Amino acid sequence: MGFLHGLDGVERHAREAEDASASAGFLQGLDPRIKLAGLLALVIAASLTRSLLTLALLFSAAVVLALVSGISPRRLARQAWLAVLLFTGALAIPALFLVPGDELARLPLLGWTVSSQGLRSAAFLLGRAETSATLAVLLVLTTPWPHVLKALSSLGVPVAIVAVLGMTYRYIFVLIRIAGEISEARRSRIMSRMNGKARRHLLFTTMAVLLGKSLALAQDIHLAMVARGFRGEVRLLHDFQTRPRDWTFLSAALLVPGLILGLRL
Amino acid sequence: MTDNAFHFSGVGYSYGPARALDNIGFTVTSGEKLALLGANGSGKSTLLRMMDALCFPDGGTATACGMTLSATAFADEDTNFAFRRRVGLVFQNPDVQMFNPTVMDELAFGPLQLGWSTTEVRREIDNMLVRFNLTQLKDRPPHRLSGGEKKRVAIASVLICKPQILLLDEPTAALDPASKSDLVSFLSRELGEDRTVVTATHDLDIVEDISSRTIVLDRGSIAADGATLDIIHDTALLQRTHLVFPHHHSHPKAGPYGKSHSHIHEPPAKATPSFDFDHGAKD
Repeated sequence: MGFLHGLDGVERHAREAEDASASAGFLQGLDPRIKLAGLLALVIAASLTRSLLTLALLFSAAVVLALVSGISPRRLARQAWLAVLLFTGALAIPALFLVPGDELARLPLLGWTVSSQGLRSAAFLLGRAETSATLAVLLVLTTPWPHVLKALSSLGVPVAIVAVLGMTYRYIFVLIRIAGEISEARRSRIMSRMNGKARRHLLFTTMAVLLGKSLALAQDIHLAMVARGFRGEVRLLHDFQTRPRDWTFLSAALLVPGLILGLRL
Repeated sequence: MTDNAFHFSGVGYSYGPARALDNIGFTVTSGEKLALLGANGSGKSTLLRMMDALCFPDGGTATACGMTLSATAFADEDTNFAFRRRVGLVFQNPDVQMFNPTVMDELAFGPLQLGWSTTEVRREIDNMLVRFNLTQLKDRPPHRLSGGEKKRVAIASVLICKPQILLLDEPTAALDPASKSDLVSFLSRELGEDRTVVTATHDLDIVEDISSRTIVLDRGSIAADGATLDIIHDTALLQRTHLVFPHHHSHPKAGPYGKSHSHIHEPPAKATPSFDFDHGAKD
């Protein structure tokens, strides 16, 4: 049941992202290539800065961009902040105690000392990760995936990589549907409660069947591509148009890492 | 230049030890509407793929538009390019064929691979979107299309390349009756007199509408080749090739509890549908 629920969750999540990217908002109205380059510039700025204040301002700017694009902080928290806090937090906590420096506090019982330098390192790690994740989620939530792919291609990412990413996204839903059907078909024939070992066996056999089906599917897809003239190089149709506000956004976004580097912020 | 779209003589093909096609021979003239009729596993999909140069005979000779269908011949880029411009295949499973992120990209794929200019590609996409009633779906990803919509996109994505020869593999598979009827109506209206159309199917309901000639395949061999009307009324042939079979059931009209008996169904009468082959929910 949890497996099926998980599969449904992936599909639901993708649909929500597609709906968000189709809605009206500031980032949604930008040319995808400009948006990708601009948000990338802000991610680079977040990794270059040596000031926690600048990092906090960048994070705030990302939140403002989300708000003017109709993305709520609650959604950002659900899709980025909590997960980053969990994983990056786990990496940052040791830095609090391991980085030598001025003692800021001491843990009772354990006697471990928290240094101010350690706290600063942990704050940078967490701040950079949260800011970058927020900007990445903003890109995904405000841009239809096909446009992200075409923007990547426009910015020089090899078309082969773009095509693989596109097909991965395309066929993940086909495979999710097949996996769901396999799982349901098995469940419909299971008469009693399964123990852990049997459930694991079921999961692994389902994965094996799915792998076999995905290989067969891949062969057929290749034939379908060849049948329509594919000769090893994918060509894409680009239909983007830039407007003055796109260039304004890009200029502003590029200015940030420039200022950080120039003024050593 | 030849008037034959296809000429097969003594063609065979094996998947490892399993013989899929054996001693296949026929000629298809340009503009002909041919049905390849056969039960599951009869070899019709393999034959269709061979006609699209996706696999090659391991015995006998096969030509399409005068070009020899062989791995050696198709290693040549120019031959391959010339062939792909002329011949288009619509796969049975639209999910196989729809590998692009949106409907518009799907339509653009073939023409772009064939080297059309972007202006020409855009113009043809607009034409196809209108002709196939897909305008409102152009930015939609394939996983958000219904079965009927996918089928429409799959056919449009092949027809946009304007192939002289169209190969259709089970075009009505997995469609509900109304969608099937609309698709057949659309195909018979839109495919035109000049285009050669070869349809592989086991659906007796549609054969008369989409073909004037039928080849019946049975376990990799040709069991019959003739006028469609003659073939679909040859009950003994259809029974021998596993396309119809006597079965036992009850007709409610025979009484409140029905009367059990065995019989063979005749091919049903034709429907007169309109063009909108999508009546179902998302699949």
